[in-house]
Formats: sequence, structure tokens, C-alpha cells
Amino acid sequence: MSDIPANRVVITGLGAVSSIGLGASEFLSGLRSGRSAAKPITSFDTTGYDHANACEIEGFDARQWIKNLEVETLGRASQFSVTAARMAVEDASLADADLCSARCLISIGTTDGESRDLDHLVETEVRHGPERMDPVVTARVPAGRLSAAIAHEFGMTQVEAVTLPTACAAGNYAIGYGYDAVRAGEIDYALVGGADALCRKTFTGFYRLGTIAPELCQPFDIDRKGVLTGEGAGVLLLESLESALARGATIHAEVLGYGLNCDAYHPVAPNQDSIAQCMQLALDSAGVKPEEVDFISAHGTGTKANDVTEARAIRQVFGDRTPKTISIKSMIGHSMGAASALASIGCALALTEGFIPPTINHVETDPECNVDCVPNQAVEADLRVVQNNGLAFGGNNSVVIFGKYEADRI
Amino acid sequence: MSTTITERRETIKEIVCDILEIEPDDVTSTSRFKEDHDADSLRAIEILASLEKTFNVVINQSELGRMVNLDGVYEVVAEAADWK
Repeated sequence: MSDIPANRVVITGLGAVSSIGLGASEFLSGLRSGRSAAKPITSFDTTGYDHANACEIEGFDARQWIKNLEVETLGRASQFSVTAARMAVEDASLADADLCSARCLISIGTTDGESRDLDHLVETEVRHGPERMDPVVTARVPAGRLSAAIAHEFGMTQVEAVTLPTACAAGNYAIGYGYDAVRAGEIDYALVGGADALCRKTFTGFYRLGTIAPELCQPFDIDRKGVLTGEGAGVLLLESLESALARGATIHAEVLGYGLNCDAYHPVAPNQDSIAQCMQLALDSAGVKPEEVDFISAHGTGTKANDVTEARAIRQVFGDRTPKTISIKSMIGHSMGAASALASIGCALALTEGFIPPTINHVETDPECNVDCVPNQAVEADLRVVQNNGLAFGGNNSVVIFGKYEADRI
Repeated sequence: MSTTITERRETIKEIVCDILEIEPDDVTSTSRFKEDHDADSLRAIEILASLEKTFNVVINQSELGRMVNLDGVYEVVAEAADWK
């Protein structure tokens, strides 16, 4: 360990592109009121599927947000990530010029990159031949563009831009990476989060596995029937506490620490011990005792396997003092790489606004899960510490701990 | 066995061996995919999907419980395809 104390890392900007609201304040009102985005899929032909609901973002026009890039050169996921970054920078009251003259990091997590474009390109190739594939669309495909496009939009040059492909936990991975860089003083600002666009490939994969719910996502419910796929982006602006205080920025919350591990136990089945270990790593990194956690924003996909395994892992760590455990996915579905990033924004908003978002569509808690999931109605609560779980296929787990900003926190 | 049945059984065996990555000689009509050939639930779904495509049938996932060996698979596909 170094003698130089590490920076405290705070969140000063929030950018949310979600199916229950665009922008942090709309997202907040959606979370508070328990809004549901579930409805029939419109973005691709669903003929042949017995059921096809999802949580899509309707009427999204990136031109309202993106100032410098040609929107046609960006796939839907990159449009989401750039838009969310724009929102976060604006929320942080940071001028483009100040961002560009600073040392920056952009890390964006994803599951599918621009698979929405790949769906269409492959369809064109099969139906009409490869010569008919649109070169503009083809150029949008590389997943690296989810982060690089943000740098281009702002004209940033002193920046490392990375896209992290750790699937459904990728948003938390990206936040952890930014946290490390700010903490160590390697950079001044980090734009971190995740983005994904609904695509037929992923819907079909989950459908084939028998894990798509016919109508609604019901995490921790005894009758839960699976996930609803979703889409969106969440981007957070991180900087050191010193930097935030010096420029008089509004501090939404503090990142206290994170943990990540990969067990590679099974392609899709979650491993209880490894999830418990990841939570413990995060708590240790944050210097937080389990009893200090005020609520857990669970991965909570609504599948039989995830919810029972995650709930058992939580009990393994928290014992009889298991905090309220909610799933935002009940409202916005599973937005894949964006999921843990949007949930992190939800955690930051919960800390500042003093409430716990509900788990909607809840009828009866599965006794095997045995958690208080704050059914259907948000509750007011004075919160200090919040935990956000992200668990991905292949046993890629990442957990981030957020705290209410307190000047004298040790 | 009639030629059709033999051919169908052969096709099913090819599909299963291809997905489980095992030699046709190692599989019998009653050897169990999970216990004897190290298959997992994902492979089972792959087998189901491939059978649906090949024989143009719809197989309910609840039938996976019966599809534990070649005999079981044949039975399920025969019912789904209404083979007499």
C-alpha cells in the first residue's frame, strides 16, 4: 500500500436512457411510481414465437441529444451510450472544453454490442446476398464504437476508451474500472456504464432456453416465469471528491468499492458460493459490514434459477439480517450490458432521494427466495449504503457498493 | 424395423452424436446422455431445437425430461410428428 491516501470517488453526473424514462429525472419518477415498460415487441417480426413481450424504448430520437456525430453512423446501442454520456456530462455541469482538456476514461459495458445491426445484415445476406449489405450499417458494428463514439462526440483526445464485453454484469465491471482509475489519480473524469439495444438474436436465445416470460417479469415471485429482454444505457460521471468540491459540483453519491470474480462454473447456471464470494469482495473493498447495507439492488432477472440462487447467496453473506432486496428489472426488463449501469443510477437516485424502488408485478414471494423485495410500492427510507449486484453468464459476477455522500466518511 | 424407422433412428442418432460430440459407436439406444455421455441442459435444448428443424415439428420443453436417451428421443419425436 502507498503512503499517499487514495482518492475518494464520487458520482457527479447521471445519464439514463431507459424504457421507463429518458434522463435521470424521468427515470427517477419511473422508479418511484413503479412504472412498467413491458409490451409487445415492435422492433422485429415476432411471427413464430408464442409470446413476444419486451421492454423497448419507444420514439427514441438521438438527434435531440447528440450534437456532433452523424446519427446514421451509429448503431442503436452506440446512440444510447453517446446520449447517456451527453446527459451525464450535462448533469455534471461540465463544459465540453473542460472535459477535453482533462485526462479521461470511458468504459462502457455491453452484452450484444451492435447485434441489432448484425441481425439486419445477416438477414440481408441470407435473403439478397452479401453484396447488398449496407456499408454504412456494416461500419457501425464493431463493439468498440460504444465507447469510442463518446470520445468522438466530445472531441476528447486524452482518453482511454474501452468497451467491456462481460455481458449482463458489464455495467458494474465498467464502473469498477473507472473507480480504480479515479481512485489512483490516473485520470480526472471517468464516463462509465453500459449500453445495449434490443435484438432478435438475444431474444431468441433466451426464448430457446425457455427463460422468456410470456407477459411480465416477476422477480422473487413464486410464479415467476423468466426475463423480459430490454434495452437502454446508463452512464455515470465519476471524479475525485477533491475535484468535485473544487468545482462546486453536485455530488449524487459516492462509490465505496466493488468486487468482481469469474467462476466459469457453467455457461448459464449461476453458482451460489461464487456470487456470495463476489459480494464479500465488494463489501471488503468498500470497508462496509453486511449489517450496514440498507438495501440490495439485485440482479433479479426473474428466472427460477437466478432468483433462488442469488437470494441464497445473499443469505449466505447477510444471514438473518438480510436487507430489502429489490429488482429494477421488474420495471425495465433485462437491458443486458446496461442493466447494472441503470441499476447503479437507480441506487444513486435512491440514496439522494431517500427511497427504495419497488419490485413490481409481485403477487406472492417464493419462500425459497425469502427476501423482502419491496413489493409493488416504493418505500421511503433514509439510506447510507446500497449494494448493486450484476451477475452474468459464464459466472462473470460484479458487485458495486454505493454510499450517500458524507463529508467525514472514513 | 421398416426402412423409414431405421432411417429416422439413424438421423436422430446423427443429430445427438453431432451435438454431444461423441462417437456413434459409443451410443446405444438406452445409454443416458447426461450420466453416460456428460451432456448438460444446454445441449439438451440444442438437441430439441435441431430435431424441431429437421423433422419440422414442435416439441414442448417439458418433454426434455423424457429425452434422456435415443429411445426416449425417438418416442417424443414420433409423438410430435404423429408417426404411426
